[in-house]
Amino acid sequence: MSFIAIAILAPLAASLLILLARRMPVLLALLGITLSLVASLTLLFTVSSGGNSELLLPGLPNMPLRLIATPLTVLLSTMVAIVGSFVLVYAVGYMKSDSEKVRFFATMLLFIAAMQTLVLAGDWILLLSAWELIGLSSYLLIGFWYQKPGVKFAATRAFMVTRSADLGLYIAVFILIASTGSSEIAVTLNTTGSPAIAAGLLLLIAAMGKSAQTPLHDWLQRAMAGPTPVSALLHSATLVAAGAILLIRTAPMLTPETLLVIGIVGGVTTVVTGLIALGESDLKRMLAASTSSQYGLMLIAVGAGVPMAALLHLIAHAAIKSSLFLGAGVFQHSRESTMLEQLRGVGRERPKIFIGFALAALALAGIPPLSGFFSKDAIIAASLNSENIEILLPFALAGTLLTGGYMARALSILWRKNQDQKNNQNKPLTGLVWMGAGLTGLVTLAIILAAAFPAIKTLLNFPLVENISTEFLPEILGLVAALSGLFLGWFVPVRRLLGFLLPWANNGFALAGGFDNLMVRPAMAIAHGCEKLERIFYQGVLTIGRAGLKLGRVARRTDEQSIDGAIFSFVQGTVNLATKARTLQSGLIHKELAISTVATAMILVISLIALMVY
Amino acid sequence: MERELALLIPEIIILFTVVFALIAEMLRLPRIALVVTIVGLLLATWQSVLLLGLDTTVFGGTFRIDMLSVWAKIILLPATLLSLLLVRAEIAGSDREGTVYVLVTLVTLASILLAGVGDSMLLVLGVLLSGLASFALVAYPRNDSATEAAMKFFVFGSVTTSVMIFGLSYWFGATGSTLLSELGQLEASPAIAVIGFIAVIIGLGYKASLVPFHFWAPDAYEGAPLSIAAYLSVVPKIGAILAFAQVVRDMPMSTGWPLIIAVVAVLTMTYGYLAALAQKNVVRLLAYSSVAQAGYFLLGVVAVGTSSLALQSLIIFSAAYAAMNLGAFAVVMRVGRTLDSFKGIGRKSHVIGVAMVIFLLSLVGIPPLAGFVGKFLLFGAAIDAGFLWLTVVAILNSVLSLAVYLRIMVPMYQAQSHCHEPDTDANTTAVAPALIKLVWVIALLFTIGIGLAAQLLLRQLG
Repeated sequence: MSFIAIAILAPLAASLLILLARRMPVLLALLGITLSLVASLTLLFTVSSGGNSELLLPGLPNMPLRLIATPLTVLLSTMVAIVGSFVLVYAVGYMKSDSEKVRFFATMLLFIAAMQTLVLAGDWILLLSAWELIGLSSYLLIGFWYQKPGVKFAATRAFMVTRSADLGLYIAVFILIASTGSSEIAVTLNTTGSPAIAAGLLLLIAAMGKSAQTPLHDWLQRAMAGPTPVSALLHSATLVAAGAILLIRTAPMLTPETLLVIGIVGGVTTVVTGLIALGESDLKRMLAASTSSQYGLMLIAVGAGVPMAALLHLIAHAAIKSSLFLGAGVFQHSRESTMLEQLRGVGRERPKIFIGFALAALALAGIPPLSGFFSKDAIIAASLNSENIEILLPFALAGTLLTGGYMARALSILWRKNQDQKNNQNKPLTGLVWMGAGLTGLVTLAIILAAAFPAIKTLLNFPLVENISTEFLPEILGLVAALSGLFLGWFVPVRRLLGFLLPWANNGFALAGGFDNLMVRPAMAIAHGCEKLERIFYQGVLTIGRAGLKLGRVARRTDEQSIDGAIFSFVQGTVNLATKARTLQSGLIHKELAISTVATAMILVISLIALMVY
Repeated sequence: MERELALLIPEIIILFTVVFALIAEMLRLPRIALVVTIVGLLLATWQSVLLLGLDTTVFGGTFRIDMLSVWAKIILLPATLLSLLLVRAEIAGSDREGTVYVLVTLVTLASILLAGVGDSMLLVLGVLLSGLASFALVAYPRNDSATEAAMKFFVFGSVTTSVMIFGLSYWFGATGSTLLSELGQLEASPAIAVIGFIAVIIGLGYKASLVPFHFWAPDAYEGAPLSIAAYLSVVPKIGAILAFAQVVRDMPMSTGWPLIIAVVAVLTMTYGYLAALAQKNVVRLLAYSSVAQAGYFLLGVVAVGTSSLALQSLIIFSAAYAAMNLGAFAVVMRVGRTLDSFKGIGRKSHVIGVAMVIFLLSLVGIPPLAGFVGKFLLFGAAIDAGFLWLTVVAILNSVLSLAVYLRIMVPMYQAQSHCHEPDTDANTTAVAPALIKLVWVIALLFTIGIGLAAQLLLRQLG
């Protein structure tokens, strides 16, 4: 049994066991994720000493399903396992008083198994299956508290938006397999010419759906209706990462045209969702908008032709954003709300959690020596060296500036106390130890991750930036943008910053009434039109049918009254005689044998004629 | 002589099993008869596995030991075993119980003979042996509907078999030999070849319930005990289809036989599913569905000789069909014969619901189940042989089949309008649930397993 299989099967088995046994969900869940983590780390160890491996499973003829352990896939798998284990530890505390632990942990582990399959998949068909599975588990987890108002809608919304974008992936995979004749990802990356452009753009659509890029960013904020560990694991570190991972893995195939489109999509997203985050009045929704914004930055890096920079930021962001969510979850439990107004000053009452939250926030803003600084610096360096520097660099700097802005705003609200809110007492929290442990682990990771970046770079053997003529320029640019963002966010009220944009940003930059007006109503109108058309057709067919029936009746009547009449009376006499003689036989067998005989004769005649003709 | 007997060990074991089981039944020890047959079937299966990889003939070309016939044994003998468990669950303790085991085993013997047939006289022998034992099985319940069905079955069998013998006499006249391997000589006289071939279609088409020789099937399945219906829809049918493949292997291409089979395949698939669409009784519905599935088998027969996939696809679809059809019949035994008795069953007992849905989806051909793999290969074989239009028709029919099977699946998950009364049907009251459950669980494992492990199976088949 290879470690690849263990990394996937351990959480899957734990999920099934939890469902079947219906007890000890916590123990089984932690056991499953630990095994998966150990397997991933072992793989990382073997891969770093040059031992790539592959596991073939039977699949379609000549297209076996394959799992591969290469530096890239194993690194991602390790990331999933590490974040997953910290989040699960945290969830033990977070879900302490929830009565449906079994369902929660089973679904979480199903998701982890699917995500491991996705990152380790070596062929498109397996990747598609895993892609669907993570979508499904995301739907189940967003809708976990389905009794609450609006939650079902949010889950369905998330599922439908990502699902419709998935169509891009299906068509892209179809094109890739059709043009290369193989389902192996590594082989299909050799595609060139127009198939590569078409497939690249379609993959981008799928990635836009999963990674919540503008204009499909809206579902991620609604997905915050789910439990906070879900937001921390799925909607910041793993599920949404699938889109970016898809583009990073297919980067060798992407043509310059596609790269430019990717860069623009990422740039627009990072600015639009950054502004949304700045104006947001709910902590979790703000973090969600920030997630979209950060993935926009990663797309900029991919667009600049340096997927390695995107990968670094993806890993750093996974640790940072999960920490932020875990911190937000503690605050949420303290005040039974995620609205920033309700959370005002909560940081003073929970100083330890706040320190963790603030460290992660500074890391995300890009303050040295935290990990976010180095990954963001890599992205800015990439856009500096890109051919499309005039498009990508402003976007990247604006994204960095906005990151500093909204994180500083959140910190200031959480820290500064309002005079008239003194009676806002904290509830005593159960399970704070578990939550604290998960949070501490992730924050530590977010801080020290930067130390592992050089090792990751050598492991992947990706050229980071081709020419380093601009030494220190990216660092300085990034730091200036981040610091000015932090300064503005801390000292200037958001009303002044956004001005007339604020109500629009709060509305998610909805154009002309948003999706309802732009998509839903036209679609419904078309559907109604089709229904009307169909009814007309139906009526037409019905009329023809009725006319036919009427004609049939007339024919039958003439038949019965004239020709049949005579024959029928004769036959009736015979039948009456026969009925007396018949005991068992239904009489139908004659007819059936006659049909057989006639049919045989017809086949015989046709075959003989055919024989003569040829 | 010794070599030939050694190669025939599985058949000989089955023959002895029949004899010993009959003796046990005469001593009024039906349970012993069952044990003897089960042991005999297992032994014969094991011996057949040892024959894998051989490609030879015995008794001067009369009987073929090749990939097709050996795999037929490996599939049909365990399928018989599962059917026997179903039979035991249905008629345990009734009068003449042991005779049923004997007759079933005899039909299996005929079916595995048919699957390796190399001589036209052996073909006649197989069809007659299988037919005579089947009539008796259908007539087992001794009530009006069963007797009528058996009667119909018998008349159909007599007529079609005699026509087949008549047609085979043409071949004998033209080639001077009863060996199928001599059929190549018919190149010179295509008219005789076609007349004989159509006679064979009639004889084997009756056993495989191809349209237009299928009329007996729905009545026989409805009149017979359900377990016998399950058995008849699997083992003799697969035997007859594989006999087809053995016959056409040596037919000269100039007679245009693939086209004739293709036409019959289209008729069978389309008529089977259309008729199934109108049924209210689940047994009749499954009967017509098994008629239609026979049409899919013919896609593989069409490609014999032109496509290397043909034999592999026939073998894999046989295994898949045996698993999913037996499983579906086992669930029907548990639940009841009418569509009404399926109402709400999926909500009441989830496991049975899920199992039935899996069997039916596999019959439709939804990946990753066994039915999909089988049909996929059959389509591949037919396309390989240049019958693209036939494949298109088959795929369209698969769409139609979804509507047929949804008629069972949809009521399963509807809310129950009234409290479900225990089924009053006489055939389901004597049922032993544990044995039936064992059967459908095994069938379920194979339905999913064959689907997932198709690659391994294909490698095994070379």
